[in-house]
Amino acid sequence: MTVALTSALLLLMALAVAVPVVQAEEPYPSRPITIVAPFPPGGVADLTARPVAAAMEKVLKNPVGVVNKTGAAGAVGMQFVATSKPDGYTLLLALSSISIIPEADKIFGRQPAFTVDQFEPLALISADPTILVVRAESPWKTAKEFIEDARKRPGQISYSSSGVYGTLHMAMELLSHAAGIKLRHVPYGGAGPALTAILGGHVDALASGPAVVLPHIKAGTLRPLAGWGDKRVTALPDVPTFRELGYRDAEFYIWAGLFAPKGTPEPVLAKLRETLKQVVADSDFKTAMAKLETPIVFKQGEEFRTFFEADARRLADGVRQVGRVEQK
Amino acid sequence: MWETLQNLSLGFSVALSPAVLLYAFIGCVVGTLVGVLPGVGPLAGISLLLPATFGLDATRAIVMLAGIYYGAMYGGSTTSILMRIPGEAASVMTCIDGYAMARKGRAGAALAIAAVGSYIAGTVSVVALMFLAPPLARFALRFGPPEYFALLALGLLVLAYMSGGSMLRSLAMAVLGLLLGMIGIDQMSGYFRFHYGVVELGDGLGVVPVAVGLFGLSEIMLTAGQAIRPDVIKPKFRELLPSSTEWRASASPIARGTLLGFLIGIIPGSAHIISSFVSYALERRLSKTPDEFGRGAVAGVAGPESANNAATSGAFVPMLALGVPSGPIPAVMLAAMMVHGVSPGPLLIHQQPALFWGFIASMYVGNVVLLVLNLPLVGLFVNLLRIPYHFLYPAILIFSIVGVYAVSNSVIDVWIMLAMALLGYVLRKLDFETAPIVLGLVLAPMLEMALRQSLAMSDGRYAIFVNRPIAATLLAAAAFLTLLGLVPLISRGVDWRTRLALAEKGEKV
Repeated sequence: MTVALTSALLLLMALAVAVPVVQAEEPYPSRPITIVAPFPPGGVADLTARPVAAAMEKVLKNPVGVVNKTGAAGAVGMQFVATSKPDGYTLLLALSSISIIPEADKIFGRQPAFTVDQFEPLALISADPTILVVRAESPWKTAKEFIEDARKRPGQISYSSSGVYGTLHMAMELLSHAAGIKLRHVPYGGAGPALTAILGGHVDALASGPAVVLPHIKAGTLRPLAGWGDKRVTALPDVPTFRELGYRDAEFYIWAGLFAPKGTPEPVLAKLRETLKQVVADSDFKTAMAKLETPIVFKQGEEFRTFFEADARRLADGVRQVGRVEQK
Repeated sequence: MWETLQNLSLGFSVALSPAVLLYAFIGCVVGTLVGVLPGVGPLAGISLLLPATFGLDATRAIVMLAGIYYGAMYGGSTTSILMRIPGEAASVMTCIDGYAMARKGRAGAALAIAAVGSYIAGTVSVVALMFLAPPLARFALRFGPPEYFALLALGLLVLAYMSGGSMLRSLAMAVLGLLLGMIGIDQMSGYFRFHYGVVELGDGLGVVPVAVGLFGLSEIMLTAGQAIRPDVIKPKFRELLPSSTEWRASASPIARGTLLGFLIGIIPGSAHIISSFVSYALERRLSKTPDEFGRGAVAGVAGPESANNAATSGAFVPMLALGVPSGPIPAVMLAAMMVHGVSPGPLLIHQQPALFWGFIASMYVGNVVLLVLNLPLVGLFVNLLRIPYHFLYPAILIFSIVGVYAVSNSVIDVWIMLAMALLGYVLRKLDFETAPIVLGLVLAPMLEMALRQSLAMSDGRYAIFVNRPIAATLLAAAAFLTLLGLVPLISRGVDWRTRLALAEKGEKV
């Protein structure tokens, strides 16, 4: 315990010292690296960042810490990294909101807190498709029935989300657009409350990460209808994908990736990319991710760029389709 | 029943094993420290220590985190009573009467009552948690946005009982609080309100920096500005324990606070701070001597302190029985379970009986540990008041700044706290109460969100508030209370508020 307190304290001190010091030429890394998780502890970003940091520490033999810089749906932490010194000592563990927030800023005509091209993508760590769930006693047995019913009664079937323009909202918007249906959106403050809302019967449907709803599916309280991935979810082999059902544009993942500020020197980037390759092969890292029931999907370089850009394009379209909510 | 007891004995065999006991103890100690430090609440404490638990096994990790959680609830009252600085958000109400008691030389009594009240509330609600978790959790899930809105509307009526003196002044402060609560991202549309280009304001003003500034730091400035230097309170040892009158006066508030806190705690999305607000209002409403509130009423400490501890256990009901987080702290604890490969959910109790019952049993143990830990500390804490002000106050200032900064590594929060200290100083010079500001700040975003979610659910039809039985009942209760408040106006009777106003006038003339 004292060790934990001391290390937390050291981390804070390291962070305080790390920022202002001007570095002379020296081998990278020679002081602690900080991974910024722009969401609170216990969220996907935080839970992914910690095993990544632990494995990086092993590979680099250099301290790697996680700092939660939260606020404004992640914008605070992302802005922090976007404007921090591009020296490889401050990295960002981002989720898909990195492409959503600047797009939403555009819609509201406000000065963006940051833009996507302020970052250098390092690697994709995990990608989990969302799945559509309804309550077990609800009338829809299949995704087809659900979509047909929604078509008959536009704006009548409701769903909860983690927040407006949030990941769970975007997943549903992409489906609505692909299937040409209109659903009723009730935003909540986070994925937890959104789950509580469907369990309590206050909304009809929810798009959620598989790990969160699996226990409720097993307990028979929720029924999965379809998934947003390009492949079926391993734990739910009988649940089809929207792709299979013919809605090709309804593709969505809750992904986590590592980014560095733009302008980070190429040798440092190369070192980090090499490190991350070893990180995902690390057995402790694999165990940690398995416990979270989050599949490791590792992509780097061109492959990650393609994935990231396709995802960003879909999300930008999604945000534009939603538009400014208060104008409706 | 028999099965429960059998399970509980399994639980105790887990909880009393030396290693688990050790981690429960560590959790309680750390929690108390976290609670005592101004600004650093249980959420910050748990978040900071979460990574440290990753190396432990699941039961130990959960037991330790829970210890931090309810330990912080115990510790939070200490600085509220001694220095008028809320150690964490739910202790805001304790600042009012706890500090007033301390000024009368009853700091020891207030601390002891807070500790014993917390112990009783903690233990009783664990019993309730054990026997009633599954049915209660299902009931709690029926609390959707309309029900929550009704509950909060009822909470707003609390204002009438928040402070003595002028209703107009209380309302003005509450409106100021509601306005401050408007700052931040509109959760329904994503629109940034009043952010002036500061991204950090996206989440609005935090309760903790505002409360520490308004209550604690303004108090320091007021003391510094007094013409006659106030005497350092020198507590005597025999005065440390509550008198028998004080015990009697705290008995029923503790009982009511426990029940109320537990019920509010199980509702998903509600905060402990609401349970302490409601408890304070209830005690004042029921009290035969409401004019004592704000001047060191024992019930004003006993009720809210019991309520916020009972709410802690209540919050575990949906988390353990259904695997749904009822607030940010249970959410972090659920994440901790997932990190250890335990998937929280409705099947937890069957799949991991040792963890579930070990956890329950450790809460009994933890409450005893906290009582044993805290009662002797009363003497020590009270002696802090012997420190001369010119040493004590700068130290408090530093601790407050460090504490508030540490919660989210945000300098903006420190500035908010300092601005609120100035505001609090000016307002209190002008005889305004600052407690309603905090209430307004807490309620505004929740109330707005619940109202607009309800209307999103019903496609804009207000009937949703009447068609749902729980919401309708709560709103009817609110209406009834409002009518009750109007009675003195009609009957021209002199109620306590008028008496109090008259008395205050008399004092000043």
